[in-house]
Parts: sequence; C-alpha cells; structure tokens
Amino acid sequence: MLKFLGTRAITSAISLVGLVLLVFFLSRLTGDPTGLYLPLDASEESRNQFREIHGLNDPLLIQFFNYLGDLIRLDFGDSIRRSEPAIDVVLRGFGWTLQLAAVTMSLVVFFAVIVGSLAAFHVGGVFDRIATFFSLIGASAPDFWIAIIAIVIFSVNLGWVPTSGTGTVWHWVLPVSVLFIRPFGLILQIVRGSMITALSSAYVKTARAKGIKNRPIIFVHALRNALLPVITVIGDQAAALLNGAVVVESIFGFPGVGKLMIDSILQRDFTVVMAAIMVTATAIFVMNILIDIFYSILDPRIRY
Amino acid sequence: MTRKLHLFMTSALASSVAFGAQAQDNSVTVVLSEELEIVEPCSSTKSNVGRVLFQNISETVTEMDPHTGLQPRLAESWEDKGNGTWRFTLRQGVTFSDGTDMRADDVAHSLVRMKSPDIACEIGAKFFGGIEITPNIIDEYTIDVTANPAQPILPMLMSTVTVTPSDTPLDRFVDHPIGTGPYTFDEYIRGQSITLTANPDYWGEQPTVQSATYVFRADSAVRSAMVAAGEADIAPNIALQDATDPAMDFSYPNSETVFLRIEHAQAPLNDVRVREALNLAVDREAFVGTILADGTLLATGITPPSTIGYDADLKPYPFDQDRARELLEEARADGVAVDTEITLIGRTNNFANVLETMEALLAMYQDVGFNMKLEMVEVAEWLERYAKPFPENRGPQLIEAQHDNANGDPVFSMYFKYHSEGQQSGLTDPVVDAMIADATAATGDKRAEKWSELFGYLHEESIADVMLFHMVGFSRVNERLDFTPSIRTNSELQLSQIQFN
Repeated sequence: MLKFLGTRAITSAISLVGLVLLVFFLSRLTGDPTGLYLPLDASEESRNQFREIHGLNDPLLIQFFNYLGDLIRLDFGDSIRRSEPAIDVVLRGFGWTLQLAAVTMSLVVFFAVIVGSLAAFHVGGVFDRIATFFSLIGASAPDFWIAIIAIVIFSVNLGWVPTSGTGTVWHWVLPVSVLFIRPFGLILQIVRGSMITALSSAYVKTARAKGIKNRPIIFVHALRNALLPVITVIGDQAAALLNGAVVVESIFGFPGVGKLMIDSILQRDFTVVMAAIMVTATAIFVMNILIDIFYSILDPRIRY
Repeated sequence: MTRKLHLFMTSALASSVAFGAQAQDNSVTVVLSEELEIVEPCSSTKSNVGRVLFQNISETVTEMDPHTGLQPRLAESWEDKGNGTWRFTLRQGVTFSDGTDMRADDVAHSLVRMKSPDIACEIGAKFFGGIEITPNIIDEYTIDVTANPAQPILPMLMSTVTVTPSDTPLDRFVDHPIGTGPYTFDEYIRGQSITLTANPDYWGEQPTVQSATYVFRADSAVRSAMVAAGEADIAPNIALQDATDPAMDFSYPNSETVFLRIEHAQAPLNDVRVREALNLAVDREAFVGTILADGTLLATGITPPSTIGYDADLKPYPFDQDRARELLEEARADGVAVDTEITLIGRTNNFANVLETMEALLAMYQDVGFNMKLEMVEVAEWLERYAKPFPENRGPQLIEAQHDNANGDPVFSMYFKYHSEGQQSGLTDPVVDAMIADATAATGDKRAEKWSELFGYLHEESIADVMLFHMVGFSRVNERLDFTPSIRTNSELQLSQIQFN
C-alpha cells in the first residue's frame, strides 16, 4: 500500500508540474492584463508602471522561472485584481466549495444509494418507474433554470428560504438542493443498473433460498458488490463539484472557487488562476487516491 | 410524523419572517452585481468601488452635482491664481474616521498618492494622465494646486480627488479605508459583505441611514428577487427583463452613450460619404422599446444631454436607406473602394441585448449594400482593437463602444475619443485638435459654446462616428425607502441621500 501511495504521489506531482507549465503559458497567450485594469484613458506611462509592478515587463521565460522560484517557497504571488496573496483568495473560495461539495455529495450518495437500490429491487414497478422518471429529469435539467425558478417559488412567493447568501443553515437549502439534482439522477441510475445485476447473481439467490430477509439482502449482500462502479461515478461527480459549481455559486452568491476561477480567467488575474488550478488539482489527486483506497476496502480482491 | 411536519413548518415560517424583515429600521442592504476587488479610495471612480466608498467613506475636494453644477465639499471655496494654479480653502473642523483632523497636508498627500508610480490609482490615471500636479501648502487649511499644462477645469477635476490621511501608504492599496465621510468602513467579509455605519463625528448633518450592508450577487434576476423578497433595499443596475414592477423599479439615463467608433484612416471609411451612409443606414428608433428599453434617447454626441455644451438642436441622422445607397454609389463612382469588407466589432456583455443590437445593425448595413461581417469579442480582445496602438493589418473596422460621462463636462471624453493623440481616437484632424484645446481652455458660457461647436462639427461636418443611443439604466428600490436613482447611481450611491417612507 505504501508503495502504491508513493507511486501515486509521484505521478500526481508530475501531472501537477505539467499542469503548471500548460496553464502558465496558455494563460499568458490570452494577452496583457494591463488594459483590463487601467482606465481606457490611462497614459502609456501608467501602463508601463502597472506592468512593472506586476512583473509583466520581463520576457515570458523569465516570468516563468521567477514564478517557479517563488512557487518553491510556496509563494503563489499576489492577485492583480485584489492586491492580496493569490493563495489566500483561492483558499477562501475553496473552503466554501469544499463545504458545498461535501454536503451535497453526502446527501446525493445517501439518497441515491437507497432509492436506486429499492428501485432495482422493485424493477419495473411503480416505485422504479417514478424514481427513473425523476432521476432522468434531474440528470438533464439545466441547473441555472432550476435555480431561478426555485428562488421565485420558494423565496419570493412562499418566503420559506432566503434567495441567496451564506448566513444561516437556511441559506444552504436552495443551493444544495439545486446542486443535488443532477448527480442524484445520474448516480441513482448507476446504482439501479449495478444493483439489478447484483440482485440477479447466484449469491443473492442463495441468500434468498436460505431465508434471509430482503433488507440485508439488498443493503448488505448485493449493495457492497454493486458499489464499485458507483464509487467511480461518485468520484467523477465529486471532482466536478470540487472544480466549482459555477452556475450555482454565481446565482446564490456562494463565494466558491468555481466562480473565482472563471472571473480570474476573464480578468487575466494570472496568479489566482494558477493558484486555483493547483489547489483544485491537488484536491482531486488526493480524492482519487482516497477512492482507490476505498476500492480495496470494498473489494478484498483489489490489492495495491 | 405530524409533530415533525409542524416543527418544520414552524421553523420555515420563523425563517421566512427573519428573511423578510429588513435588517433594522434605519439600516439598508444594497445588493451589487460584483464584489469590490479593492476598497481603495483612489480608485473609487470605478463604479463598483465608487458605489460603496465615494462620498460615503471618502469625500472629494469639490463635488459635481448634475443639477446645480460644481459645489463645495471638503473645500469651502477656490480661486484661480493664474499660471495653472488654483487656491483651495478647506473646511475646518473636519476629522477623519481615525480621529485626526483633515488639513491641507492630507489633500497634498492625496494628490501625490493618486499619481504614485508604485500603485495604479484609477483617479490619477483616468483624470490626471499627462498632467503634472504640484501641491503647495499655504497654511493648515489653504492649499495651492498647480497643473501643468494648466487646467481651467481644475476645480472640476478636484471633484474626483478623494482625500485620505497623510499617513496613507504611497506604495500599496489600503484594505481599510479611512475617510472624512458620513460613514465609517466597519467590516469586509471577503466574498460576502461589506458593512458601513454612520460616522458620529461627521462634520455635516447626520444621515438618516445609520448602517448599510453591501452584498454581491452576479445574477440580475437574483438581485431583483432579493428586493422583492425584502432581503435587500436597493439593487442598482438590474436588467431590463427583471424590471417588471413599476412600484419598485426606476429607469433613468445612466450616463452611458453607445456608438460605433470609425477609424478614419482606413478606406473606405476615410470617405465622408461612406461615413454619412453608415449613419443614414441605421433605423435608430426601431431599437427603442424593442431590444432596448423605453426611454432610450437617440444620440448626436458622445456625452449625455446633461453635459455642458451638449447641442440639443442637433438632429440624429434619419433612417434613409435610399440616400445611403446613393452616397455609396457616388463614392464608388469616384473610385472609393466601398466594397471592401468592413468588420463590425461588438463587445460581449457590454450592455443588455448587445448581441441583438449588433445583429440588427449588421442587417441594416447589409441592406444598403455594405460588405460587412460581425465579430463579437470579449472585453480583453475588444480593448486591443479599440485602444491605441491599433493592431497591424486590421482593415476597416466599426467598433461598438459604450462611453460613460456623468461628470458634466465633455473634457473628460473629447480628448481621449477625438484628439489626434487620444488613446481611443479614430481621428487625426487638426481642426478637431484645435477645437478641443480651445474649449478645454475656455470657461463659463464661452466654454459651453465651444463644446457645442465641437459637437456640431463632429456630428455634421466630420461625421466622426455613428452615434446611436444614450442608454437607460434600471434600479430596484424597496418601497420602504424614499430614494430615486439618478444618472449618478451608475457610479456612486450616497447613502446620506436616502430617507425612509
């Protein structure tokens, strides 16, 4: 296991270096940020001053090596837009994204596994049809539309929950609900399909023949074997959430890393873009390693 | 189960009451479309920064009022001492929110700081670019300010200068602004909110609004929903389609003017007949009340009608396709390459329905025979094409732009847009250069007259650009407030002007 972890850490680090290289030069291809930060009427003198302050006057390779030198000291540089350390800006946003992703994925996994398993057990029945119908709608509905409609109904008309913001637990209801719908629909379908296969396997028939009740058959015997493909999809969905739920963050005023990343790209705030990508990439590498470890726990045949 | 349901409903009801209630009787919540990247007074001419700081936290030396003209603020009076020098007599008894007195050395320091090479101050770059400013302290409350070259409108330029204490660093932006204004900057929770509270030691009248919270929501529908749900009191700058409630929504000229910038050096745009045809081919009235809001005005000049010297007698070009075709034929007969492809460039998200507007313009130009294509570009790419140095081998281009001038004087616009040396000027016309210099140097009625002459020349003789619209903005205001948004709401929001119904 230690060897596996070491190998994964090294390959992740290599990928991270490749990512740094790629993003550094690609982001610079978008052009000079000076025009975006200074007024249109700014003199050439002011523009040169701005470039000097932010190290943009140096040749690109020099900029890159300066950046790497700083990075080794864990100095990600200052945000051009916010005049504060880029890593502070990113970690602040990433904290919100992590919380949002954790709450949403916990609920998604809990409900998708239960509903998907029951739908598979009653395959073709009313419960299965209703679950399939709503999961397909959930997996395909545009979240920006759901978000706006939810605000109009539940906040403006009914006044049950706040429109947006982060102040209380009630502020989390709408964003989590909107984020919940799509991965719930998708994972429910994977659980259902995987469970149908598992429930028709020989060991389940044997368990039934031995008189074991339905609940342990579903949630103990079949589910454990059906979970491997589900874990893979959960990992994909969690990674997508860690990248930031841009639409939901924008609409509900959640100061997460997704919106920050998009804003920073549009504003050519290179240091924040780099820091955001490195932080999210690291988080996804860590999550992938955890998923691999979880595989081996679920299936003793998998050994690293 | 029933008990649980009751519990949920009770909680929901309680929370709805809590969300619906305004923060406090004398507090307001303002929902802005974007977070402030910095809270720096010397950049408070940026609209998102200005709506929080300008005249709330940081006050200016003078103040420009669209209705009454230039007014005293931290300076009680000013006089022209000649040779580019103006003497400002400052108000006494004014203190900063850190308790120190505001004196002439603070004003001098603020002037030096806004031009500091170590920070990119918006005000210094925007209003004092190319101008050398030398402050000279006469006594504690008197300061001479010399501009080189001389600026006859220096007192008006001082309406942009926010005054900060003399110990404010010259080499970095502040994260907790100190000012003399009616409010103090209390708390900034990054990504979430800013809180201001009334300054008990303010030199002027105590404001009715005792505290204000600013929150940030990118989506216009959410901002308007927040006011409708009672979670916010003011949502400046909402989209046309969200301004659906006449009881809460206000429309007002927002000081923005939309136009197509023509670069005169490129054929066939160097021919005045082609430029006239470009103006005649546009059915401006068809846009108003359809893809642009009712109340949008047809423009004849680059600044809104409230600026001095705006010539109200100038008429927008009529929609006359036949005459446009005739002009193109005449130009073609004289060897002008009228069939050269012209690129019409629009800026994405520049204003509501910009894409529809650009597509309609393209169709109108193609109708009269222009060989034209449309490119919509994001802001960074747009800037590279709009401001000098222009790209090589660009060919003839019409660039859509929106220009904001809420300051009341065309000088803020004319130099940069029309002078040969102007950063975004498509002209190289010595006549225009001389007229700008004359008007800039003039004062009083003479100044208004000279600006009028320039507006007329640009519109009818040079046919400098395709002037389109003076735009309308929308804000939603909770009915509990007695506050009417105005042309200034685009760039500032003075909390002290808000009353409660």
